[in-house]
Amino acid sequence: MKLTPRKMLHTLGALADLGVEISSTHDFDDLMNTSLHTLLGSLAIRKGAIAVYNARPRQLKIVAAKGPAALAGVCIRLTKDEADRLTAMDGAFQEGGEPGGLLSFAERSRALLSQLPAHVTIPMVARGDLMGVIFTSGKFSGEPFDSEETALIEMITRHVGVGVYNHRLLASVRRKAMENRRLYRDLRETYQSTVKAFAAAIDLKDAYTKGHSDRVARYSEAIAKEMGVTGSDLEHISVAAYLHDIGKITVDRAIINNPRPLTEREFKELNTHVLTGYEILSSISRPWNKIAYMTKCHHERVDGSGYPQGLRGEQIPLGARIVTVADSFDAMMTDRPYRSRLPLERALAEVGKNVGTQFDPAVVRAFCRLLLRELNGEAPRVLTSTSGRGYDHEEVCAALASMAAGPEGVEPLAGSRPN
Amino acid sequence: MITSDVKAKLVGEAAIIYPGPYLNQLRGERIERCCREILLDGVRNLVINFEETELVNSIGISLLLGVIDAVDESDGKVVLANLNTSTRELFDVLGILSKVEVAGSEEAALSAMAASNASAPDPKLKAGLL
Repeated sequence: MKLTPRKMLHTLGALADLGVEISSTHDFDDLMNTSLHTLLGSLAIRKGAIAVYNARPRQLKIVAAKGPAALAGVCIRLTKDEADRLTAMDGAFQEGGEPGGLLSFAERSRALLSQLPAHVTIPMVARGDLMGVIFTSGKFSGEPFDSEETALIEMITRHVGVGVYNHRLLASVRRKAMENRRLYRDLRETYQSTVKAFAAAIDLKDAYTKGHSDRVARYSEAIAKEMGVTGSDLEHISVAAYLHDIGKITVDRAIINNPRPLTEREFKELNTHVLTGYEILSSISRPWNKIAYMTKCHHERVDGSGYPQGLRGEQIPLGARIVTVADSFDAMMTDRPYRSRLPLERALAEVGKNVGTQFDPAVVRAFCRLLLRELNGEAPRVLTSTSGRGYDHEEVCAALASMAAGPEGVEPLAGSRPN
Repeated sequence: MITSDVKAKLVGEAAIIYPGPYLNQLRGERIERCCREILLDGVRNLVINFEETELVNSIGISLLLGVIDAVDESDGKVVLANLNTSTRELFDVLGILSKVEVAGSEEAALSAMAASNASAPDPKLKAGLL
């Protein structure tokens, strides 16, 4: 058969189609079936099969077959020597030819593939590794393969071998990526457990604040979600809330537990906890590089009268503005050495009174919306975990509805303004 | 008659199948399915009419050979009709035309089929059943 322009075009078309298939992300079985049909159709070969090699156990497994479909799944065991010889083989061997020390393999495969009169056996090798073997019958016309056609079969087989190699590589990368994701998740869980342990240690310094960090974290996370915060931003806020008081570990326990009004010196020492916390947490660069600054700012006030920097409005990170509301609400709703817990109505009145001065109005609106839904049984209890039942439900809900709509006399957050 | 999204019809004892403009994997698989259904219905004579077919790729060739083999194994006959110059040349260089009959039109294919059936021995006689 002469290599006519028409035949060359057909062959080039087959190679182009094969290239598209190999670079696609098709299912492996589809890829093998398509590759087999492309090879067989390029030279009008009647039947064929693709067997993929596995090193453990050392065998070839038919993954695609045309003609005798029952061949799919048939396995041919290989000795190490046979696998090595197939790997080292340069090209195809035809029935009746010298199989280069593979006589036993040729006889065994012929017996197993009796439905496939295999005229040509071509090892698929990619990057020096045996990927498998392609078996083909003779041509539909009954004519023998000429040297150009044999070369074409070998070329297409190399392409298919690359397809198998790429598929294995991709499968390996996917496995490693999954393993990395699992390890990363485990690592984050370990970090989170550590954070919670630290938070519990901070709260143990003061019998009155037991569970405070945990509650502030849960409140902050709920408010942030209500404000539409998601993903790593949400996680940063949660962790910052857990650790917002970490600086208190260096403050004298007597000051923290002092039931009397603090002296100026005691105030000064207590207020250093935000800077100490910042110093402690600044060394954390991953995965929560924003938490140090958030904790530093959780006593800032939107009107600029807070500490330690006197920041205003949006100069204060959103996470810190959220933690401020959560921290103050929990402080009011729990007993302290210097006073008993406030009733819910009083605590809400205090929050309302300080909107726009201490608290960010947007954060308070989100807080009120969430609290209102909880009180109406429309959301799981988070903010109401310490509220008890001693309040006038209707009165509180009416107040919350009004605050959630936008507290009267409160201007929207002014943003960055000079001190 | 339309089977498996492939245009096909029965004329006497023969089925005529129209592969459409591009005989590739998708069309080839549908035609293969259609032919198997036709063979299961007992039809043994198949005309494949390429009048609308402009292109046939290698996967299409492979699937077409599968159809021809399946008909052959059922003691049937396939005639290819209305091949354009390009497809005819391709089938020729691939050696397909040395094994399969070609007709210039659908009517000519049906006539060739009828003539062949008239001269062929009864399949039951061939199988030694009579």
